[in-house]
Amino acid sequence: MTSTIIMPQLGETVAEGKVLAWFKSIGDEIREGDNLFEVETDKVTIEVQAVVAGRLSEIRVGPGATAKVGEVVAVIGGDLTTKAPVSTAAPVAKASQWRSPFEEVSTPTGRFGPAKGPNGIHLTPLARRLIAQGGLDLAGLATETQRRGERRIDGAAVRAAISARPATPTGPLPAPPPPLPVPECNVISLNAVRLRTAERLTENWRTIPHVFQAIEVDFTAVNRVRTSRKADFHATHGFSLTFLPFIARATCLAIAAYPHINARFDGKALTLSRDVNLGIAVDLNHNGLVVPVVRRAGELTAIGLANAIRRQTEKAKAGKLSADDLSEGTYSISNNGAFGTTFTAPIINAPQVGILSTDAIRLKPAVVSTHEGDFIAPRMIGMIGQSFDHRAFDGAYSAAFLSRLKQILETRNWNEEFPSDL
Amino acid sequence: MAELTYRDAVARGIAQEMERDERVVFLGEDIGKAGGVFKTTVGLYEKFGPRRVRDTPISEQAILGAAMGAAMTGLRPIAEIMFADFLAVCFDYVANEMSKLRYMSNGQFACPLVIRTGNGGGVRFGAQHSQAVENWTMMIPGVKVVAPSSPMDVIGLMAAAVRDPDPVIFHEHKALYAIKGEVPDGEIVDRLGTAKILRPGRDCTIVALALMVPRALAAAETLQHEHGVDAEVIDVRSLVPLDTQTILGSVAKTGRLFTVEENPRLCGWGAEIASIVADEAFWDLDGPIVRITTPHIPLPAADHLEDLALPSAARIVDTVRRVLNG
Amino acid sequence: MASVKDATAPNDRLRNDDIGLDRRLELFRLQVEIRDCEKRAFDLFLQNLIKGTSHLSIGQEAVAAGFGVAMRKGDKSFCTYRGHAHTLARGASMEGMLGELMLRDIGLMRGKGGSMHLTSVEHGVLGSYAIVGAHLPIACGSAWRAQYLGEKDVSVCFFGDGTTNIGAFHEALNFAAVWKLPVVFVCENNLYMEYTPISEVTAVKHPAADRAAAYGLERIVVDGNDADVVYRTALAALEMARDGGGPSLIECLTYRHSGHSRADPAKYRPPGELEEWLKRDPVVIYRERLRDFGVKQETIDAVEAESKRKVEAATEACKASPQAPVELLTADVYADGGWAWRN
Repeated sequence: MTSTIIMPQLGETVAEGKVLAWFKSIGDEIREGDNLFEVETDKVTIEVQAVVAGRLSEIRVGPGATAKVGEVVAVIGGDLTTKAPVSTAAPVAKASQWRSPFEEVSTPTGRFGPAKGPNGIHLTPLARRLIAQGGLDLAGLATETQRRGERRIDGAAVRAAISARPATPTGPLPAPPPPLPVPECNVISLNAVRLRTAERLTENWRTIPHVFQAIEVDFTAVNRVRTSRKADFHATHGFSLTFLPFIARATCLAIAAYPHINARFDGKALTLSRDVNLGIAVDLNHNGLVVPVVRRAGELTAIGLANAIRRQTEKAKAGKLSADDLSEGTYSISNNGAFGTTFTAPIINAPQVGILSTDAIRLKPAVVSTHEGDFIAPRMIGMIGQSFDHRAFDGAYSAAFLSRLKQILETRNWNEEFPSDL
Repeated sequence: MAELTYRDAVARGIAQEMERDERVVFLGEDIGKAGGVFKTTVGLYEKFGPRRVRDTPISEQAILGAAMGAAMTGLRPIAEIMFADFLAVCFDYVANEMSKLRYMSNGQFACPLVIRTGNGGGVRFGAQHSQAVENWTMMIPGVKVVAPSSPMDVIGLMAAAVRDPDPVIFHEHKALYAIKGEVPDGEIVDRLGTAKILRPGRDCTIVALALMVPRALAAAETLQHEHGVDAEVIDVRSLVPLDTQTILGSVAKTGRLFTVEENPRLCGWGAEIASIVADEAFWDLDGPIVRITTPHIPLPAADHLEDLALPSAARIVDTVRRVLNG
Repeated sequence: MASVKDATAPNDRLRNDDIGLDRRLELFRLQVEIRDCEKRAFDLFLQNLIKGTSHLSIGQEAVAAGFGVAMRKGDKSFCTYRGHAHTLARGASMEGMLGELMLRDIGLMRGKGGSMHLTSVEHGVLGSYAIVGAHLPIACGSAWRAQYLGEKDVSVCFFGDGTTNIGAFHEALNFAAVWKLPVVFVCENNLYMEYTPISEVTAVKHPAADRAAAYGLERIVVDGNDADVVYRTALAALEMARDGGGPSLIECLTYRHSGHSRADPAKYRPPGELEEWLKRDPVVIYRERLRDFGVKQETIDAVEAESKRKVEAATEACKASPQAPVELLTADVYADGGWAWRN
């Protein structure tokens, strides 16, 4: 005899419940009173018991899925189906698919210098990486190695060379940029990139009603995580962990709540984009500006964003950006912090409707409220700004987005972005 | 805690699961009344009876086919293939049937069965009864493959295999049946897809499986005491799913990788791991990856020849020392 | 529900009819629909809408229909790559079957399996198997499960004459006989093992029935083109299995009208053989049978018209169906829906 198990009524105003876990599997013999599954509503989480006995023959609503009160979630006593229950509402493949079928192995993207040094001396891959990351002089190291009568530089040799170096002091302020060479004549022609950029910038400035808004963000929590993860990150990925990946991540999260920010405007309609294709403005040694795009940035963690941004930046600096790299951006970030500026009002890249600007993040006195009262304390403070297209949305929307972005940066558990320690 | 032999652990692991779940049944040749040709299933017939522990004719295809049909329709069978070499006799079921069933039917079936088999050499049974064939099963998409090296792992991984909803091939090692190990009391359940670092170290990573694990551990002791090399020894345990993260993490630390494989050289399980490490951990490598394997030959029956063929602790020490110093 | 209205007048044959008009109309309907659907598959292959390979059962409908009506819901069937008829006979939809042949999303397996692997667990079609003989031991396993759990379903296993010479056939029959499993083995002897006459490669005349004694089973050869004969034989075998009487091996003599697969024009057949067998076309035989039992021509016509309508509707639905989304490439390798072999 077949009996159905339904999502029970769990409260007067409760209309549906989410199954958290099943305690029984298809084929299990159920007795009256056995705990069948755990369900969560917006009011309470409880276990549901069986009111009949029999063999559990079908599960229709699996873990993670939601059912309305009264909906059939399982069948007892029917024909045994060996069909595995659908475990989430999302398409099956995504749940456990974690890499592209054509990337079953993740080839690292870094490149760290030649495999052969001067005079045919060999370097192990580890040595090459450590030399590049440590900024060592290969020629000097090669000479040293040969003087010792060896033909190969390995990781141990490089580590030894690194620890023999005097420590370099790190100043509190970023170094000022090297002055541009003073030209002999006073007419500087624009190169092709700058000409093209100039045209676009003019068009954008002319047609888009720009409004700039800024919000002050306390980066102390972010900085705490950044500093604690810095060394490991550098060792694993070969470059420094800056604030930008955190800001990019927070931006993607804030966009999820304020989707109009991530849209295209054609003069009449706003087309919201499902993916966040984040443009990162890259300065080409003061000789032009490009904005390569990190596609589907919303699907990346802070680490993923750090790597993706790094890749695009390197490609930009090497002049290796493709048309794909520069197209289909939905939102952009202009990162100006390196030179210590306070805020920047950037120009929007049409047809996008907004662009974020970040500037210097540094220790400043700030008021901190505690149980014992308000105190002045040094905190890492930085300004985050947004230039937005006033046709697409209003100041209140933009401000709400910035406010959410600030909240994410200040209160998110940023340690979650990093893999747990081994 | 008790000391148990590897073979007794097999019986205990099966019994643990049969007690827990009425749907677990067991079939194979001479497994019931005789307690198994290697005495690995002694007592099960007496405890669970002829309805749940069934002796079959010499019909490997029927054994695996029947296990599959039963698994597809609601039971959780354990099937024994006496010698792993005989997987070749019924390989259609591994390569073409149970591994592809779910995919081809678009998820209409699950196939929760375990094939347990006596794998490996070192016991003088000759070329057709001594092969280590876990690599044959590793290369078929759709199955899972484990090879425990200790009595405790036998029980824990057997439990994990029986509870797993997919077909699992459980390679027991014939030369390990007599070894003893500490086993805690009570239920033991391990996890598929997890490797274990049995000996942490800093100078190199040695990855081994089944019979090669105790040999790698012995080699590591000698390397430490006589040559000052501090080797990290990893028991891979599970070929599919493969715990690449533990191996990659270890190589990131040590920069050197050695595999110890009983498979004949070509396409041994370590070749795949060497490939993954050479790819993903390229920038952590401080020297070439070296595989220590049985040569690519059939195995002889003569004991002195067979002992030469399979990697020994001495050969492991010699190779590691030579390569690290070179 | 058929009734006396569907017959011209009560007659002796109706009164002594063990099968009954309802089941007869069902047997006819199934054979006609299988025939029409297979012929449509033939056309679609020519139009390159069905890709890969396809093994048609035109001429062999009576076996599938006879067993299809005799089996209960809950009984399990296993068949070979020539399984379209058996899949339809258990109640799977035409668009599910044709859609799978056309490798579209509407197919029974959304195009993941193809013609040779038709599966519909909800209808008890536990797979079509392309490796000759592989499913015989699998059917034994399903029967073992029924025996073990005390369930009353029977597992029925369909295969061709060629299967009787492969190892798994012999292992399965011995296994089923020794364990007395509730499984029915049905050999559709269509006289040809792929391109070779079965008689040239088999030591005995009846490739299945003449082996039965080797396993302690009864020798059974029946006219596989008469759905009534198949139906009655099937009922008896199913009942015996259900009652714990063990397995049976049934050889059904039949003939396939087309080649082994769509690619085969079957020129290896001796002249006149096809024509002889066409006279024993199971659909023609059964149409006559219905008239013998007094069923009105309108009723017969209605069944055939409905079948054609269904085939048209199914074809249109399949042509309109897209192919499966690319995410299915890596879906369902393992029970968790994914394909991860590493972490």
